[in-house]
Amino acid sequence: MTGLEELKTKILGALPELDVVIGWEQGYDALNATPLFIRKPEDVERLIIGPLCAHNLATYLPGLKDKKVGIVVKGCDSRAVIELLQEKLINKDNITIFGLKCDGVVNLNKIRKKIGDLGQIRKVVFDSGIITITAGETDHQLKFSEVRMDKCDTCKYPNALLFDHFIGTPDDRQNGIEPEHISDAEFEKMSLEDRFAFWKQEMSRCVRCYACRNACPMCVCRDHCVAVTRDPHWISQENDTADNWMFQMIHVMHLTGRCVECGECERACPMDIPLMLLRRQMNKGVRDVFEYEAGIDPQGKPPLLTFKVEEDNIPEREW
Amino acid sequence: MSEKKFLKNESVIPFIEGLAGGRKVLVPVCEGDAVIYRPYRKDCRLELTRMPTISPKDATFPRTETLMTFKQAPVAKTEGDGEGDSDAQPKLELTETLPEEKVVVFGSRPCGARGKSIFTRVYETEDVKDPYFIGRRDNTLFVSIACAAPETTCFCTSVGGGPADTTGSDVILIPVDGGYVAEAVTEHGAELLQSDLLTSGADKAGEAEAVIQKSMELLGDADDFSIAREKLIELFDNDEFWFDMSAKCISCGTCTYLCPTCYCFNITDETAGKSGKRIRTWDTCMSNMFTMEASGHNPRTSKANRLKNRVGHKFSYYPSLHDKVIACCGCGRCIKSCPAAVDIREIVKSAQEYEDVNE
Amino acid sequence: MSMNNPYLPEMATINEVIEETHNIKTFRVTLNDTEKMKNFTFEPGQVGQLSVFGVGESTFVINSPPTRMDYLQFSVMRTGEVTTKLHSLEAGDQIGVRAPLGKCFPYEDMKGKDIIFVGGGIGMAPLRTLLLYMLDNRKDYGNISLLYGARSPNDMAYSYELDEWFSRKDLDTTLTIDVEFPDWKHRVGLIPNVLLEMNPSPENCVAVTCGPPIMIKFTLQALKKLGFEDNQIVTTLEKRMKCGVGICGRCNIGGSYVCKDGPAYTYEQLKQLPNEL
Repeated sequence: MTGLEELKTKILGALPELDVVIGWEQGYDALNATPLFIRKPEDVERLIIGPLCAHNLATYLPGLKDKKVGIVVKGCDSRAVIELLQEKLINKDNITIFGLKCDGVVNLNKIRKKIGDLGQIRKVVFDSGIITITAGETDHQLKFSEVRMDKCDTCKYPNALLFDHFIGTPDDRQNGIEPEHISDAEFEKMSLEDRFAFWKQEMSRCVRCYACRNACPMCVCRDHCVAVTRDPHWISQENDTADNWMFQMIHVMHLTGRCVECGECERACPMDIPLMLLRRQMNKGVRDVFEYEAGIDPQGKPPLLTFKVEEDNIPEREW
Repeated sequence: MSEKKFLKNESVIPFIEGLAGGRKVLVPVCEGDAVIYRPYRKDCRLELTRMPTISPKDATFPRTETLMTFKQAPVAKTEGDGEGDSDAQPKLELTETLPEEKVVVFGSRPCGARGKSIFTRVYETEDVKDPYFIGRRDNTLFVSIACAAPETTCFCTSVGGGPADTTGSDVILIPVDGGYVAEAVTEHGAELLQSDLLTSGADKAGEAEAVIQKSMELLGDADDFSIAREKLIELFDNDEFWFDMSAKCISCGTCTYLCPTCYCFNITDETAGKSGKRIRTWDTCMSNMFTMEASGHNPRTSKANRLKNRVGHKFSYYPSLHDKVIACCGCGRCIKSCPAAVDIREIVKSAQEYEDVNE
Repeated sequence: MSMNNPYLPEMATINEVIEETHNIKTFRVTLNDTEKMKNFTFEPGQVGQLSVFGVGESTFVINSPPTRMDYLQFSVMRTGEVTTKLHSLEAGDQIGVRAPLGKCFPYEDMKGKDIIFVGGGIGMAPLRTLLLYMLDNRKDYGNISLLYGARSPNDMAYSYELDEWFSRKDLDTTLTIDVEFPDWKHRVGLIPNVLLEMNPSPENCVAVTCGPPIMIKFTLQALKKLGFEDNQIVTTLEKRMKCGVGICGRCNIGGSYVCKDGPAYTYEQLKQLPNEL
């Protein structure tokens, strides 16, 4: 991501017409970014962009429906904005999009896994594919490719797909991208029994905090989620594997043909459950059956939000 | 404090295995990239250097706990016995299910173990005693590892704790070169240290002290959160302030579920056929449902209202009711694991420093 | 078991179900343990948690007075899961009762004073226990008047008791409904307006009010206009409750837990709490 000064200038220019512009600022230390809600010109000074800006800010849009909102988006984030527009969950007239070109974002869990708890972080420098973290008196050097989010390994859409202002120069990265994530291939080699055993283990540590749900830009039911209602009483409040699994299945099924693979669910999960594996598997099914990818075309119809008497790829009858 | 002993690194596993006599042993293990407490198994990925992702409160306040079970007793045929009982309704049998399991948690941090002291002031009062929490608390021992490398999210010293705080722990282990200096905090803790695996640690006292001293230096100066009690009440009706503070909050329950001191719960019934159970599960004040009344009225409809309650409860309401004790251990989990990096320290500081420009 | 388990309900039997309105039923209940029923004590305004096992618990005021202990009476408006299930129960059915919970009305402090009750809809339930208690201890209190309103005559609970209340010389009863209704012989108008027309003197008087939040809001304004001081106004609050003993954390207004420190509060006490009703 480049062009911070250009972005600041453009936001300052648009701000008088907007209630708020959502970007990122540095969080509690040099390794953390956090969403920034810009309301006054002086707030713009705090804006940052770069590999720490992982949050998909589109998550906030449905909650700010009646406001004039500016939003800074990476390629994947812009797909969430498009999908929200496709489903008429937000109104484009109220939204000003500042599009970025993204070179990938960091997964903090991967860093913790590599070097443990970091202690007092003093400085973080990204340079030529190397991230140098100064914690205490120690410098840790890591390859960016080893600590970026999984979604970035296979990213086809580094540039914002929809924007009012594009910052910098778009990146052409259509080639050389692995079509599938490595772990998906490994997962598919497993027997059904092994897959079930795998998920049972993973789901057993879910605490049902609903971070995955609330971080998801497409999970728009929020306060009316079936996971917390007694009527219908589909899921118990029991925090056991079966109910956790049921909740996660409901979540993923509700995203069928809608998930843009921004990875926010997995990033938000404090228990590090590989939720994206579920979503990638489901999206693969949607691609195979409907030849559709969510959040690419603002005019496109999500396959499960429309109805065809005869689906092209679903043989319903023998004749 | 009792005498200092030494547990060398190679003896940690045998020591944990030795604890198991009659007790369930919970240890921090790495699953995915998260560190969670699981019952000890030989093949588990023990993780003693990172702060566990989740607090150890599950040991004394489980995510799900059965309070009682009920079943419909079969109705005895009373036809023609002349007692007029023929239309007697089926009787319900109610059985309370009190915890009896003995547990030891190995590898908690002092801040995590401290959490249950915050519970006790609410769960064990003159008027009411929660037999489930009290039962588990009295049957659970904590062997805590003092904190040698606090993170940027840590602020235990600002809320009454410290890297080697003993509140809530039975044994404190201080990491030193080659192992841990062990000290018993309670009599039960002293019993745990009666193991042959421990040697004298008297010669390592200085090293242990230096570790804690270093940790204190890294933590830096403690913040003074005492005026938050009044300030948060003063700001209660300041919607703009809470709107700003909560803008990036996504209203999930991560902060409350990972928190060692968040003690709120839900009670619900679950049935299968003619029997069922009444369970209690963790609940979160960050959820809209938490305060939703049957009539549809909700005193906390916005995330701003709800965040205000979380911060207010910890830094104002609770301290006002309980000898000024802040209901927070400063472990920083709510900051570190928040998907939006909402920082409770910043909110409290902003409240304390707030000046009304209109005044 | 050495400890008294505050979550464990007493098993109880529904002796009688009274259909009050299209959405309110009254349940008369006795504890199955006759010894416990005999020794059961409570004070007017305290509440109980009723359990329908398999569905859950919900909080209701005990609206029979402590002076009449043949049964404990609860009135239930059908609004959610537990209340809907309760409405399906009949005489003889088993439920669980956890009671008494919470703090009562300050009925001792009200001795020697005139009392005006202002109740709206199901809000009459908590007033009923105190009203009957005072009528049963009539000499302890001054003039007692009751203003009871509902949307329509069909929404008025305890209609079968109204004749008796009207016939009493030591109780001044006024009824009102929101809009005109055929054959209605009493007043028509919103409670706060009727209250202003009644113009009760605040001197040595305590007003006790309960009803829907919007009614309470305007009734408080009317009482202030009539010159009632904050400590002369008593109300009782609704909140979502679970544990009923001040632990589970959801019914707080700042540091005050409605289940344990309430539900009865004077307006003076309420004003000291954060503004979060």
